[in-house]
Amino acid sequence: MSEVYKRELVFIVAGIVAAVMMVTYFFDIPVLNGVAQQFQVWALIIQLMAIGLGAINLVRLNYRHIQRKSEGIWVFSAWFMVLFSIMLLLGLVGLATGSEHAIYSWIFTHVYTSLSSTLYAITGFYIFSAAYRAFRARNIDAAILLIGGVFVMLTNAPVGAVIWKGFPIIGGWFNIAGQVPAMRTFTITGALGLLAYGFRTLLGKERGFYGEAGQ
Amino acid sequence: MSSESIWDKLQTVDRRVFYWILFITLMIPYLRPIGFPITTNPPPKGIYDELSTVQPGEVCLLSINSGVSAWGDCLPAMVACIRMLADQGAHIIVWGMGHTDIDITWREIMDRSPELKDYVYGEDYAYFGYIPTQETTIALLAEDIRAVFSLDRYGTPINDLPIMKDVNEAKDFRLMLSSDTGDVQGYYIRQWHTKHGTPIGSIGIAMNASGDLPFFLSGDLFGLSGGSRGGAELEQLTGKPGQAITTMDAISVSHLLVVFAIILANVGYFATRGKR
Repeated sequence: MSEVYKRELVFIVAGIVAAVMMVTYFFDIPVLNGVAQQFQVWALIIQLMAIGLGAINLVRLNYRHIQRKSEGIWVFSAWFMVLFSIMLLLGLVGLATGSEHAIYSWIFTHVYTSLSSTLYAITGFYIFSAAYRAFRARNIDAAILLIGGVFVMLTNAPVGAVIWKGFPIIGGWFNIAGQVPAMRTFTITGALGLLAYGFRTLLGKERGFYGEAGQ
Repeated sequence: MSSESIWDKLQTVDRRVFYWILFITLMIPYLRPIGFPITTNPPPKGIYDELSTVQPGEVCLLSINSGVSAWGDCLPAMVACIRMLADQGAHIIVWGMGHTDIDITWREIMDRSPELKDYVYGEDYAYFGYIPTQETTIALLAEDIRAVFSLDRYGTPINDLPIMKDVNEAKDFRLMLSSDTGDVQGYYIRQWHTKHGTPIGSIGIAMNASGDLPFFLSGDLFGLSGGSRGGAELEQLTGKPGQAITTMDAISVSHLLVVFAIILANVGYFATRGKR
């Protein structure tokens, strides 16, 4: 099959799928509903296969780094391979026995949980340092952002209302009258953009997903 | 002798100083709780009010789309909601997407919810585990749950679970709660609420609250719990204090510290602006 046919086939398939999904979202057509549901099942299967494919790709990539002894990387790749193998083996043992292996469970509960929570919590320290260094009223826009931010912070923290009852009222105003219209604008313009993207896909004019962006 | 003023020096303080100040300050409320009063706001109250109307036997869904890293923000609200639903006698179905660690989160919710002790697995609640997320999966779940799940997390065919007898699509749920660190709640709004009318409540990290608020104000979400503050308000409303209320003192102290730092930095900035 020539490259042209292969390309056109992708656009035709994408166009048909997009048309079916869009029509069934807005209209109740029993025949099309069945087809749309089948497409969704296929999409789920593809997603599950993508997870497996991602794992294989990760192993290949790290194996290459170890093989080439890539400077500054191969040690981490080797460590990844060790941990990946342990988790994979323990997971497979759990699958075979029908119950989660105790070590697998222990690693998740006592290693992964602690590391995950710690990494997220550390951002608080960075934010504190960054707020001191970067949050400057250099111009009127930055000053408005700064004042709004301070009021919203003191609205969210219970201490704000204790210091002054006006903080939650003004912070609430910043939230409702300031932030919500802006967020609605983003949401609506984003949705309109998505609609345009959908129509372009439907007409075969959107070629980014085929690796032809910018052509 | 250096001609640098105190304001000049304050502009170049080592970042580790801030880390230590924050660390030590955060210790204070944990060692000696202050107990600032917590007022309740309409978004978490919306969740409480809607959950209050759930009748015994009605099926509710919790979709855990947040990972362990978001426990501080999302877990207290999830626990408060599950405890309240159990008090109401609701049947609860749980699944999750986006994070492969949801098993631990669900285990933690069960550990913190003594009300679930009397619940019988398969009859009063069921847990389906993790599924990969895309909007198509959520659209499919809205139409046919059995097309996505044939077994629960423990390998039992879902047709063997009494709780699933009359449940197969979005319309069969009285309401659903989505705990989020990302976009999944938006998928539920589009595929479950807009298309099928399923009421949706959102439990999100604090950062999500600003993005979710327009959906609460438009009525697409019946309630919204943003960050640990939302969790604390729910704990207060349900009368079951938990982790979030304890955290509120630390939130107050840390926020106050950040505000103080911003003011100090700006005073320094204006004091030294002429020199630059």
